Amino acid sequence: MNNLLVLPFLLPVLTAVICCLFVGRPGVGRRVFIAISAAAQCALAFYLAVRAFHEPPLVLLMGGWAPPLGVVLVVDGLAAIMLCLSTVVALACILFSYAEIPVWAEQPLRLPLMQLLVAGINLSFLTGDLFNLFVAFEIMLVASYALLTLEANDRHIKEAFPYLAVNMFGSALFLVAAGLAYSVFGTLNLADISRRAEAMQGDFGVMVVAVLLVVVFGIKAGVFPLYYWLPNSYPILPFSLGAFYSGMLTKVGIYVLLRTFGTVFPHNLTQLYTALAWLAGLTMVLAVLGAVSRNFIRGILSFHIVSQIGYMILAIGFFTPLAIAACIFYVIHHIIVKSSLFLIGGTAMFYNRTDNLARMGGLLKASPILATCFIIQAFSLAGVPPLSGFWGKYAIILVGLEEHRYWLVVAALVASVLTLVSMLKIWMGAFWQKLPADGTADPEAPAAARTMTAIVCALTLISLAIGFGAEFFFGIAQTAATSLLDPAQYREAVFSLTGKGGQ
Amino acid sequence: MKATTDSFLVRALIGLVFLLVNIVSVYLLLRGHNLPGGGFIGGLMTGMSFILLGLVRGWEELQRELPVPPLRLASFGLLLAMITGTAPMLFGRQFLTQYQLHLDYVPLIGEVHIGTPLLFDIGVFLLVSCITVKLVIVLARSTSGLPAFTPGEVPYYASELEGPIEETANKEDRHAN
Amino acid sequence: MQIETALLVGLLFAVSVYLLLHKSFVRILFGFVTLTNATNLFLISMSGDPDGKRAPILAEGSGPIVDPLPQALVLTAIVIGFGLTIYLIMLLYRIFLDAKTTDASKLFLPEADDE
Repeated sequence: MNNLLVLPFLLPVLTAVICCLFVGRPGVGRRVFIAISAAAQCALAFYLAVRAFHEPPLVLLMGGWAPPLGVVLVVDGLAAIMLCLSTVVALACILFSYAEIPVWAEQPLRLPLMQLLVAGINLSFLTGDLFNLFVAFEIMLVASYALLTLEANDRHIKEAFPYLAVNMFGSALFLVAAGLAYSVFGTLNLADISRRAEAMQGDFGVMVVAVLLVVVFGIKAGVFPLYYWLPNSYPILPFSLGAFYSGMLTKVGIYVLLRTFGTVFPHNLTQLYTALAWLAGLTMVLAVLGAVSRNFIRGILSFHIVSQIGYMILAIGFFTPLAIAACIFYVIHHIIVKSSLFLIGGTAMFYNRTDNLARMGGLLKASPILATCFIIQAFSLAGVPPLSGFWGKYAIILVGLEEHRYWLVVAALVASVLTLVSMLKIWMGAFWQKLPADGTADPEAPAAARTMTAIVCALTLISLAIGFGAEFFFGIAQTAATSLLDPAQYREAVFSLTGKGGQ
Repeated sequence: MKATTDSFLVRALIGLVFLLVNIVSVYLLLRGHNLPGGGFIGGLMTGMSFILLGLVRGWEELQRELPVPPLRLASFGLLLAMITGTAPMLFGRQFLTQYQLHLDYVPLIGEVHIGTPLLFDIGVFLLVSCITVKLVIVLARSTSGLPAFTPGEVPYYASELEGPIEETANKEDRHAN
Repeated sequence: MQIETALLVGLLFAVSVYLLLHKSFVRILFGFVTLTNATNLFLISMSGDPDGKRAPILAEGSGPIVDPLPQALVLTAIVIGFGLTIYLIMLLYRIFLDAKTTDASKLFLPEADDE
């Protein structure tokens, strides 16, 4: 009996509901309650992770109904890693938003919606059922639509429209894919699909479902032809939420791609892997060019999300065990680094009252700690050894050389250099240059930004730990990759339990 | 959208229609589980009945007459549904496990078959009907020229300063205005 | 029944894509409504051929029934589609109020001073 498995989904929902029901207004008590709940989710995720790495995958049959009829929740190594990351980032972003906005100015629905977003994300990591995955995606997306427009002003709100339109179309495609999967495999349980897909290898239907799912998750992850919605919509978010969006939302797409290719479908869809690898190459180069062309922090960082997604997809496209492990390691590194870069941007904006690089400056003097954190995270993102980004990129490029995909390796290296260029742009604009004449420097900022700086420092320390403890983290990633690529183990865990309505 | 009607007949009959629609929706709610019906459909019908009431009597009057804020009742419904799902966990059973009670004969009613899914359905019913009412009220108010929220509601839906964060940084200036 | 349903699903998808590619907000909105319905119909048609089968209500009658699972899925999809449609209406209305246009192509014209 693994009832704990449902808690990463249940706790955030309960928190949101209790906030709406008993305290409609923001207040100190409510803030403390949400922070405690977020910390509890975090602790729970780590407990589950420890168990998942020492036991076979944990399974919960919802309502006691046996698969393939019942919905199952499964936590294996990869899901546990993702749960830990999402709860840690959520905790950091919630604490940051407390510092970002005084209590009286907080949007009453912001934190409840954020908790629903966490719930949707956690459910999509937990679920072992294709249609349940759709529901989880929708919980996540609906919460993200609402948060995106909640605090947007009149001029920015139109940017939510492409986001909504693309994602609604993606959801419709997902439904079509789920329907097709049901008609091809006769089941929606991921373990059952994997069993039947193995039996019907080479069948045209398997390929069609796989391609549709790749398109759907590609939209969610922001892969090359379908990323337009992302870089323009994220900048309209406040920094604390932007950090969470940039860290988690697209990575859900990556997680699901890993799950479908690793566990669900047979490992012989070679044409699809090749197509993914080339799309990934295009994604990272084109998006990083977009990042170089932007002149405000949120814009640059939002384009970087897409570019970094390219690396992860590239690793999935190579599809060797080492590449998958590298992808998982890269996801761990990316979520922490990206979120903390957004939070650094948020702190910087607190000093200068804007995030337009033309009107920022002098932050190196104003806050040397923040500048140090930024330079560490920026180099890490670009992949300078021995920081965390380097090891992920190194492993991916190594696989690329082994597989003789030289053009893709060149693309990855070019994207790395351009990443460094755009990071230096932020460095020059915000930290190095003197404050321009039309810029403002808030004299009270250093005191007010103390909490923010502390959160940023904590995340930077985590990222340093990932960099210097790369051996340990890569070991975890390899363990997760091994169990991900072993569908037999997953199936055995799911089908070993007995419940009502079994076969 | 013009919200009220001058027709005497419609105004006189709306109460009756409202009652009838709600009887049907409660019937659908109770009948669910084994037969077509259930919380979602019942909730939608109740929501419709409130929309009808609002169209005839005007949205402001409807809102004045609502005994509880819809969003709060909706959260209560969600909480009820979640508790029904969670309660079995306290007894060591799986999340969402159902319990049934079958009585062969109850005076006046006859055969009764109830279970925890009914509680879950009631939660869904509250959630769906209240959310529908709230959505339509907001939509109707803003398209008929009223502000979307009444002054009493504003603190629950909006912060004291609505605007992007860039402007929040200048909080003193904005707060002074 | 299968052929007719397939044709109808195809037609609905065609109509929805045609409407989605328009500039007018109202047509885009109708496009999404049609898209939702097209996917729902597609999901229902996954139950297989309904000829000679009953609706899946176990309390009444006996005999072969259609596959109930797609119907359960479609109910979920309808609920989600319902919520999203209202959200889309509200968002488009708000954008219309702010941008004073219902022409999606005029929405993203470059402004003199971005940010």
